Amino acid sequence: MESFLRTFSDQTINGLVIGNIYAFIAVGLALIFGVGNLINFAHGSVFMVGAYVGWVCMTWWNLPLAVAFVVVALVCALVGMAIERFALYPLRGAPPIAPLLATIGVSFMIDQAVQLLFSRNPHAFPNPLIEHRFQVGGVTVGAIDLLIAGVGVVAALTLYAFLRFTRWGWALRATAQDREAALQMGVNVNAVNRMTFAIAAALGGIAGLLVGMYFNTVYPTMSFQATFKGFAAVVLGGLGNVPGAVLGGLLLGLIESYGVAIFGATYRNLFAFVILIAVLVWRPDGLFSLKPRVAQEPLTGTFIAKGRPVPTPKWLIAPLIGVAFVLPILVPNPYLLQILTNAWLLGMVALSVTLVTGTAGQTSLGQAGFMAIGAYASALLVLRLGWPFELSMMAAASISAVLGTLLVFPAFRLRAAYIAIATLAIGEIVNQIILNWEGLTKGAMGIAGLPPPSFLGWQMIRPHEIYYFSLALLCLAALTQWRLVRSPLGRTWRSLREDEIAAQAFGVNLNRYKTLAFGVAAWIAGLSGAVTGHMYTYISHETFTNTTSILALTMVILGGMGNLLGAIVGAVTLTALPEVFRGLADYRYLVYGLTLLLVIRFRPQGLLGTD
Amino acid sequence: MSASNGQPLLQLKNIDTAYGPIQVHFDLNLHVHAGEIVCLLGGNASGKSTTMKVILGLVQPLRGTVLFDGRAITGLPTPQIVRLGIGSVPEARRIFAQMTVRENLLMGAYHRKDRRAIADDYERMLALFPRLKERLHQRGGTLSGGEQQMLAIARALMGRPRLICMDEPTMGLSPLYVDRVLALIQQINAQGYTIFMVEQNAHLALQIAHRGYVLQNGRIVMEGSAQALLNDPEIQDAYLGEKQ
Repeated sequence: MESFLRTFSDQTINGLVIGNIYAFIAVGLALIFGVGNLINFAHGSVFMVGAYVGWVCMTWWNLPLAVAFVVVALVCALVGMAIERFALYPLRGAPPIAPLLATIGVSFMIDQAVQLLFSRNPHAFPNPLIEHRFQVGGVTVGAIDLLIAGVGVVAALTLYAFLRFTRWGWALRATAQDREAALQMGVNVNAVNRMTFAIAAALGGIAGLLVGMYFNTVYPTMSFQATFKGFAAVVLGGLGNVPGAVLGGLLLGLIESYGVAIFGATYRNLFAFVILIAVLVWRPDGLFSLKPRVAQEPLTGTFIAKGRPVPTPKWLIAPLIGVAFVLPILVPNPYLLQILTNAWLLGMVALSVTLVTGTAGQTSLGQAGFMAIGAYASALLVLRLGWPFELSMMAAASISAVLGTLLVFPAFRLRAAYIAIATLAIGEIVNQIILNWEGLTKGAMGIAGLPPPSFLGWQMIRPHEIYYFSLALLCLAALTQWRLVRSPLGRTWRSLREDEIAAQAFGVNLNRYKTLAFGVAAWIAGLSGAVTGHMYTYISHETFTNTTSILALTMVILGGMGNLLGAIVGAVTLTALPEVFRGLADYRYLVYGLTLLLVIRFRPQGLLGTD
Repeated sequence: MSASNGQPLLQLKNIDTAYGPIQVHFDLNLHVHAGEIVCLLGGNASGKSTTMKVILGLVQPLRGTVLFDGRAITGLPTPQIVRLGIGSVPEARRIFAQMTVRENLLMGAYHRKDRRAIADDYERMLALFPRLKERLHQRGGTLSGGEQQMLAIARALMGRPRLICMDEPTMGLSPLYVDRVLALIQQINAQGYTIFMVEQNAHLALQIAHRGYVLQNGRIVMEGSAQALLNDPEIQDAYLGEKQ
């Protein structure tokens, strides 16, 4: 009993300390959401920049801790202002989804830049306080715990005083509450926006420094986790609610800490994603709001820009497919064929994204989750039950359609930006389940020894074989989808995209048609995942990540939302681009992020136009 | 009042405005002299509120000029226009719902630097609006519609504007508050404030205004003294509901 109590109080302190850090991240996200009505996907990247700047300060320059804090806050504030100035300010007046996607592009670029500068490997972070530990009433408290708590309290009080008693703080609050009215009071809302980014980024950067010290390590992928923990905390507290964000952060820290104590460390990241979805779906205003917020800003429509598809002559399609099919004979370069095979398989994923996002208007950032379900389903059917690949592939696609749709189903009531976050979380949950359901999936080990794809006795081992197979599947998927979107069903899907309420008023059952859209999309993505898995012969919970999901969405944006040919053109372009310019291969994500930013800004309807 | 007594305080010249392919204003011309109450009348979607937005720089016209005190302000950012002396009582009041009444009032003086004068104006407002004084530390969103309208007007006055633009100041108010707001507008006009207001309720607006313009489908179709407009049979037919 006593040991239980001790564990309990240790876990409580642990949870509060981590929660304090989450609160730092969440407060920044809440400020940005409040002022700019923007969900900032680049926030975790700034957090990571803070960790690395702190690491540089302390290991390269041997600066004292206090100075490191100041340097981190200043550098991150500048980074935040730069993000606002160069990526977001030019998009003012665009639909809210445009700046959201821009922050995804920015996060790709920052993450890759940090990797290039400091390598992908973790660095040990020195903690000058590590020696000091105190016994307080049977509980051990480290100096680092006290530091984090102290910095948290000081930051919270400073922020409160700033918002409450200073002219700039008033301007910030006024802008958050009513941007246009603030303008009419003479508030320069653009300057307020930039200041908000600076404050949020400084807080995020300090959180990064604290995390680095707490876990004694910094690594580039810490950015995405931070973004997500921040989202979960903000959503718990109510979007845009700053005190709520603090409470949400502390609560998330406690839940994680107790959860890990009960279920084990590998479950740590699952809690945030589950909380995120559960709160978004059942209490979208957060735990601490007494009543629903009045007149929430409508975040409807996924379309970055309305436009018409660039007319593509029908006679051109057949020759294009013909060229794709004779290419292996003309250019039997295995490297090229491998790249194009990837493009075909990702093209199928892009088709599935363009169906749910472009045609039906449900922004999806979770498509890799469907691929993972397909890949694992097929692998298990083949390896455990001895099914032939041609059967397992079809079954896997169907399993992905059913499971995928069931997973997304609770999020059907969400719209634009919220469904984007929810689907991203669902993709992560799939990977977390794969990681933790060891009996079925072998957990972190992954599944090795998948036989290569085969079809009616034809084993696809050489590059051109799988090239043909994936190209054929892509053509079939595109043809089927083309028939669907031209049918009355397609018209109904587009009505969801244009105006859900109007569609409902005309008797459209929203859930049924969203189910159909996600079902078909998850089927196609699952099929692609199954083939990809067997092509790689090894899959794990890290094979199909959110990066793939975001890449697929970028392809669709590049080609033009809802445009089938555009999805394929986007897939080929983004897969081939870094390879064509050999030197760019190391800068792959820099290229992806930049592409996203440039397309959103200069050609929001995409290369081939939206359809 | 005629255009002969000097240069107008506000003048809109040949304004054309459009939202994308939909044109809102067609060659709009109007002016307001210092000391006047001028009202812009018109039905739904006639372009009234857009006129306010053009003056405040929230919407940029395709063509034409807005002159304030002889100076072209077209294209200036809204905060700068506000600093030049144009105050705004926005449509639907747009009180900062989460800020206290006191904070709302002081936000009205946000662009001013003269701290002592701001403190004086603040005291004056509390004297002028005893109702607000009782609720100084309440959040703006908890006030009734009529109290919010008073707060919006007081907030605009805190900026010491030379011209106050009011967008539908009586909209959605109880009859009691409609009368109070109209009396208040006359009262502050008597203190020297120039007022340009947009109103759907022509009858009420013309009772207190000196002059009026009638906007229809983006064009000024009639203008004149309030009395002349009140007696005009066409106006009575179309806006006052007094069929002859």
